[in-house]
Amino acid sequence: MTLAGLTVKNIGHNWLRTVLTVLGVAIAILSFVLIRTTIDAWETAAKHGAQDRLSTINRVTFVMPLPKRYFQEFNGERGKIEGVTHATWANWFGGKHATREGEFFANFAVDTDSYFDVYQDMAVPPDQLAAWKEDRQGAIIGEALAKQFDWNVGDDVTLVGTIYPGEWKFHIRGIYVATKKSVDRAQFIFHWDYLNENLPPDRRDMIGWIASTVDSAGRAAAVSEAIDKEFDDEDVQTRTMSEQAMNKEFLGGASAILGALDIVSLIIMLIMMLVLGNTIAMGVRERTQEYGVLLALGFRPRHIAAFVVGEGVTIGLLGGGLGLLIAYPLIEQGVGRFLEENMGAWFPYFSIPPEVAAMALGFAALLAAIAAGIPAYRATKLDVIDALRRLA
Amino acid sequence: MSEATAERSDAKKPAKTARPIIECRGITRTFWRAKERLDVLDGLDLDIAEGSFEALMGPSGSGKTTLLNLIAGLDRPTAGKLVVAGTEVSAMGDAALARWRSQTIGFVFQHFNLIPVLTALENVELPLLLTKLPASERKKRAQIALRVVGLEDRMHHRPQQLSGGQEQRVGIARAIVHDPKIIVADEPTGELDRHSADDVLALLEKLNTEFDKTILMVTHDPAAAARATIVHKLDKGRLT
Amino acid sequence: MIPLNYNLRNLYVRSTTTIATAIGIAFVVAVLAAAMMLVEGLRQTLDKSGKPDTAIIIRKGSDSEMPSSIEDATLNLVKGAPGIAKAADGQSQVMGECVVVLFYDLANGKGKSNALVRGVTADVLSFRPEVKIEQGQMAKAGSDEVIVGQKLVGRFKNMAIGDTIELRKGRLGKIVGVFSAGGSSYESEIWGDLDFVRGSFGRDGVVQSVRVKLTSPAAFDGFEAFVEQDKRLGLEAMGEIDYYRKQSEGTALFLTVLGSLIAVFCSVGAMIGASITMYGAVANRKREIGVLRALGFSKLTIMISFLFESVMLALLGGMLGVLAALALQLVEFKMMNFATFSEIVFRFQATPEILMNSVIAGGVMGVIGGFLPAVRAARTPPIEAMKG
Repeated sequence: MTLAGLTVKNIGHNWLRTVLTVLGVAIAILSFVLIRTTIDAWETAAKHGAQDRLSTINRVTFVMPLPKRYFQEFNGERGKIEGVTHATWANWFGGKHATREGEFFANFAVDTDSYFDVYQDMAVPPDQLAAWKEDRQGAIIGEALAKQFDWNVGDDVTLVGTIYPGEWKFHIRGIYVATKKSVDRAQFIFHWDYLNENLPPDRRDMIGWIASTVDSAGRAAAVSEAIDKEFDDEDVQTRTMSEQAMNKEFLGGASAILGALDIVSLIIMLIMMLVLGNTIAMGVRERTQEYGVLLALGFRPRHIAAFVVGEGVTIGLLGGGLGLLIAYPLIEQGVGRFLEENMGAWFPYFSIPPEVAAMALGFAALLAAIAAGIPAYRATKLDVIDALRRLA
Repeated sequence: MSEATAERSDAKKPAKTARPIIECRGITRTFWRAKERLDVLDGLDLDIAEGSFEALMGPSGSGKTTLLNLIAGLDRPTAGKLVVAGTEVSAMGDAALARWRSQTIGFVFQHFNLIPVLTALENVELPLLLTKLPASERKKRAQIALRVVGLEDRMHHRPQQLSGGQEQRVGIARAIVHDPKIIVADEPTGELDRHSADDVLALLEKLNTEFDKTILMVTHDPAAAARATIVHKLDKGRLT
Repeated sequence: MIPLNYNLRNLYVRSTTTIATAIGIAFVVAVLAAAMMLVEGLRQTLDKSGKPDTAIIIRKGSDSEMPSSIEDATLNLVKGAPGIAKAADGQSQVMGECVVVLFYDLANGKGKSNALVRGVTADVLSFRPEVKIEQGQMAKAGSDEVIVGQKLVGRFKNMAIGDTIELRKGRLGKIVGVFSAGGSSYESEIWGDLDFVRGSFGRDGVVQSVRVKLTSPAAFDGFEAFVEQDKRLGLEAMGEIDYYRKQSEGTALFLTVLGSLIAVFCSVGAMIGASITMYGAVANRKREIGVLRALGFSKLTIMISFLFESVMLALLGGMLGVLAALALQLVEFKMMNFATFSEIVFRFQATPEILMNSVIAGGVMGVIGGFLPAVRAARTPPIEAMKG
């Protein structure tokens, strides 16, 4: 037995209370991890959004289109903007599944030749890509979407248009795999030409936005400015920024919720501290006579304090460990997979970041030490004789 | 305690030195309870010879436990000089007193005061945690101490699994494991039945006669007092 | 029965432990109440925007007026539907509107946020009598004047009377008034003349939503049948209140689920805290419980007494939690309305029902957490009274 051993053994004074406290700490850690993972997943799009890919939209509002001819400034037909390496365009289609209309997923009508050159983080097997390019009604879908609706290559699917009303028929020609964390794995991509040729004349030749890649991420801001300057004198002006910046702006709408969640996660830890501190304090009160004996034997007040704090930290780590033990399968296999597959548009990536796990454990130990601080301090103030005299 | 000390019990003992191991001169201990002044001990003088087995008796409030606490280094006198085992404890600071206690005094308590989450062996080891001895050595000495009190076969039992008498004997083992010069016992038989009390008292006697431990005991029990060579009676803070 | 005083005194004596545990429960109750209050606030803000005698028509398949588009000609066909109320001048009360979401600089300099601009007609004030011009005057029909909802005034830069806002390059609107709208979502909007707004974006001749004042709420069914029978028109009609309900549904569901999840997790933690405290109380008072048993009090009496104690502890926490939640009413909450992609500002709204339910939830936590310790107390044998 050692001093450290004695500290750890002390939790055995009241097993029921120790177990309950460990459980309480575990629940607190579990909640903390869940909340922070949610915040992280939400911010992943902003964090991992492409910095070297720009989006050019209608300055007034992204809901309004751009004239198709603007694209000619990007691909060299009417001039080339310096720094742009590839460019493509897309329209938000806003279609829904024919029967499962409640299940939202993103669908786009895109420029056949250039789209996947710009969006290289959506990887399509070359044979499927070729097949898609041949088929006017072809569609390429994300792996998560394929799983969600049980669609396979070769299937005929119909989408119901909302912005472009009517029933639109497609053939699934390929499935893409996301190579980056922030990519929505539930998208539906088809040919812009197919959309355009089926529109009434007054709605034709309008594109939703232009996406372009720049030669270096550091030049993103400069190139964005150059693009917007190009169209400044036109009737329809543009607003260009990197994808990451655009995601951040979007995220701004959720900032209040994220802020609230942040606060909640911290308060949970504080409450955990309270419960833990209470438990330790109760233990100290009960063991006053024991501490008296230890002091009589020659142990110093700092030893007693160390015992108390050590006990708190032990319980904190046990609870933290247990909480993580539950969190991992619950989130990685359960909740995370569910969200990624069924709400892939909102949560393309839902996994516990290692920093969160480490932070949780570290917090558990640190807060436990702080929580045990006051009882520990009180214990150092014990008078030997009074402590010995106190009835067990 | 070490093997050497345990073996010495069989050898012939040298004559006891005449030098008192405990010297009290003009010991006064005053307490203040809500503005009221209590002189629990008032100018007390007492000498206790090394190797003796002495008892302190007296009615409640006579100051016997207070005196014991002072001699054991748990408390400091308000006035007077106290020299125990060659050290002037009345002048020592808290840290020094703690260290001195851990080397010089062995405690036997009325309520046994064993730590319930530890086994008998681990309880006995406790005082040795304050030394620099390695774990294996600590364990060995604890075992020997338990052997002396006749409980080696119960060393892995927890206090809940022991009878009152056995618990007290473990307490005694804890009191001798670090080979202190003086054993201080506060009502050691207070919680015991007659039979266990006799066992414990016989043990204390053995420690005194075979192991040369000076024993100072506070007691109400006349049978316990009978075992001591000298009985000091206190009343209202003075020896009578 | 053991008097409640006994329990209250005991809670008071161990005040630190009592407070610590109560705070744990208070937090859970506060979160529960806050979530419910947020949903209620969202609902109320959006509900206020709808009237029981008004129907709204959008393109079939659109989730909201945003993606919808209806031609003026179609609007005229709607005028022939049954059940439409007529104004004093004999005209059918049918009103078309367009909406667009624009970005403006925030007053606090932290970037941009979106605001909804609505193109309205002269009928708008009669359709929405709760709208009052608080400052300045109403925008003149057919002009480039606009009025802004009072919630926008401090939020964005340059949104006071006299300022101009840019709809798009070359199309500026002059702010001539600030309006209030009874706390509804309209207060976060900018209103201008319909032709001016839709003309700025090349959407002449098209509206996004059509509002219709009915003779009475009961007239809705007949009206709906008429509008939806012709599939070629591709229109969908619903009561305005239902429309706004649907708008908030997604967000409300999200908030409810999130809040409930957090509350459930935390309530387990709070109950554990209550258990620990009550177990401690029972252990501390073993002797006196033994005495009570020896005196003749039954096991059931003891158990109920301790349950009372844990419930009172929990109710204390519940009330603290509710107080904290009430304080939240001072906070303004800004969130993206996922249905319209526009920002909506609303508050935490408490109702007596929410508060009561929250406190009761706290009480229930006390019962569950205190149950096993109460049983243990009841099981204390009278002999404990004798032990030292």
